[in-house]
Amino acid sequence: MLNSSLFATVAVLSLAAIPASAQAQAARPKPNLNGIWEYIGTANWDIQDHSAYQGPLQDLGAIGAAPAGQGIVEGNEIPYLPAAAAKKKQNFANRRTTDPEAKCYMPGIPRATYMPFPFQIVQSPKDILMVYEYASANRAINMGKPIEAPTDTWMGTSNGRWEGDTLVVDVTGLNGLAWFDRAGNFASDQLHVVERFTKAGNDRINYEATIEDPKTFSRSWKISVPLYRRAEKNAQLLEFKCVEFAEELLYGQFKKQTSK
Amino acid sequence: MRTRISVVFASAGLLLAAVPVSAHHAFQAEYDDKKPVHLKGKVTEMEWINPHSWIHIDVVGADGKVTNWMVEGGSPNIMIRRGFTKRSLEVGTELDVQGYQAKNGENKANGSSITFKDGKKLFVGGSNPDDPGAKTDTK
Amino acid sequence: MSRRFLTSMSALAVAIGLASGQVKSVKTYTPPKTPWGDPDIQGIWPGNMGTPMQRPANLKDRALYTDEEFAQRQEQARKQALTDTQEFASENAKVSIGPPSYWTERGKPTRQTSLIVDPPDGRLPPLTPEEQKFRKEARGGRGVTGEWRGEADSYEDMNLYYRCISRGLLGSVIPVVYNNGNQIVQSPGYVAFRNEMIHETRVIPLDGRPHVGSSIQMYMGDSRGHWEGNTLVVETTNFTDKTSIGSNGAGYPGDPGHHSAALRLTERFTRVDATTLNYQVTIDDPKTWTKPWTILIPLAQNSNYQMIEYACHEGNYAMGDILSGARAQEAAKSK
Repeated sequence: MLNSSLFATVAVLSLAAIPASAQAQAARPKPNLNGIWEYIGTANWDIQDHSAYQGPLQDLGAIGAAPAGQGIVEGNEIPYLPAAAAKKKQNFANRRTTDPEAKCYMPGIPRATYMPFPFQIVQSPKDILMVYEYASANRAINMGKPIEAPTDTWMGTSNGRWEGDTLVVDVTGLNGLAWFDRAGNFASDQLHVVERFTKAGNDRINYEATIEDPKTFSRSWKISVPLYRRAEKNAQLLEFKCVEFAEELLYGQFKKQTSK
Repeated sequence: MRTRISVVFASAGLLLAAVPVSAHHAFQAEYDDKKPVHLKGKVTEMEWINPHSWIHIDVVGADGKVTNWMVEGGSPNIMIRRGFTKRSLEVGTELDVQGYQAKNGENKANGSSITFKDGKKLFVGGSNPDDPGAKTDTK
Repeated sequence: MSRRFLTSMSALAVAIGLASGQVKSVKTYTPPKTPWGDPDIQGIWPGNMGTPMQRPANLKDRALYTDEEFAQRQEQARKQALTDTQEFASENAKVSIGPPSYWTERGKPTRQTSLIVDPPDGRLPPLTPEEQKFRKEARGGRGVTGEWRGEADSYEDMNLYYRCISRGLLGSVIPVVYNNGNQIVQSPGYVAFRNEMIHETRVIPLDGRPHVGSSIQMYMGDSRGHWEGNTLVVETTNFTDKTSIGSNGAGYPGDPGHHSAALRLTERFTRVDATTLNYQVTIDDPKTWTKPWTILIPLAQNSNYQMIEYACHEGNYAMGDILSGARAQEAAKSK
């Protein structure tokens, strides 16, 4: 596996007008986040503490049920405003058809990070891509001068920078249509996520995300998960182009009825 | 198809022909060419989404009743690269829409022609090669 | 692939580049290297829809337009740009059911007479009888050339693009009316090729590992790359038989259409100068075309081009509308 010394060669920057600490940051070799990463756990079912429970479709039996899990939310509380708390309950009740994951909609940030699918970080000295196997979602982390979100999108607009050995990614322009999990946790289009990716040894990244959305929550809150390197020889992303799996759910009602 | 595109292509012979004209989907599949509509209304919302944007307008009928229509527009990516933003179309703006109604009878129309009250076309402009969106690093 | 073929293709590519003014000199350009020593082909390389897939038959074996013909094309484009930027609709303009022209990003004309550079006549080789039968019998827009055929019993009658599933590997790169963004990012042992529409990213390993097993099929296939000098050569296999080469739905004259699962693609990425990346692909599918064929798409770097998310499926109102529209019309007919 390739190591950080490959990143020791850094392009010479014009350092004259940059403050000393930024100079030090710019000259510092960057941690190597390249690789195929995946979260292990049940956060995609429910980001809070939960016992095992029946899934939304009983016909799937035990296969469709949620395993128990300790939550990934600091303090285990999601500080919903009253109206939002009611909406969350409604989301949970209707989740079989309204969970955007069921429709194969892109998972947004942070959910893409802890879906039960691998994702790949492709890091060059200048650019960083995050490529998710789920629904072929992907995003580019802009490492230059921060840009404004051109419009609201599912995966948001990501501006990244290094703080010591941590990649800090500021995500704005999220459209508020993705959920945090299958339990109906959600936010609005005022969602703002600040992520922190920190290597912990060669085969793990510690991921943290601070969530804020004044339309949905009374204060900001934090989640954290470890991400594990997929260690199989020749590990690679495959395809989960799930639109075909969702079409009957979405459009079945409009099909021509063949039986009369 | 009697759009300006095919007229230009026909007169250009094969110079600029044989390239895709309509991307994404066939409007013939979605809209009824026997149901032309001419709508005038105020913008209530614009969805800047792909594959097509949708402009919602409140249309006041002859009876004074207000109906909300959805008008199908182009991909926002192009508009954004031409320098247009969400602020380029404010809620309340009056639009004049000519198009065809959806086959399913809903209050949906394709925006074959969308203009402001003064006849100026919505989101037009910037197609010439010197537009920032079309600049390459060789220029 | 024979060395002679490759030499003639790169000579042609240089000729096209020179003629277009994109390549500055015949002297071989050496691209900069990444810190780990691979040729650097990173950047944003949007496609230009200025060249048809197939060459007009009357041009025969001419790969390039003459100066005069090229000047005519440029003049046409100038006139078109003026029409496109007309702010006011003309009084007598007929409103058709099609989209207005300003929804598109116009291509810049090129001197290349066709994307297809082999066979020498710039046109597709014949289809196999097997494939002709398939296309004749296929329902709807499924994998065949041209627009939707009129059936709307189910979402399966729509093509992959209308369904927002995928435009396939080449369909995501061959320039069309808009959203032709391509971005390349490299990391040690990988090249990532990211396409705007419909949000694909291939992360191509360069470590010589074998392809995945044959029972794994993907819309974008399974790619493996290696460097030959300054050219990135990428071999892709493991395709499904559900996609087309080309639009996968928008349908344009010369669209190559459906391919089989036996397809093997060989892409060659060569940076021929600071701002030009020659993207050349050989399409080899003996179940579909009677011989391999090759396309060349020069890509010009544009660091001002903003790659914007093209979510597609998430906003696909049209699918429900098309199907419910067909049901409404059936109901009206049966009355």
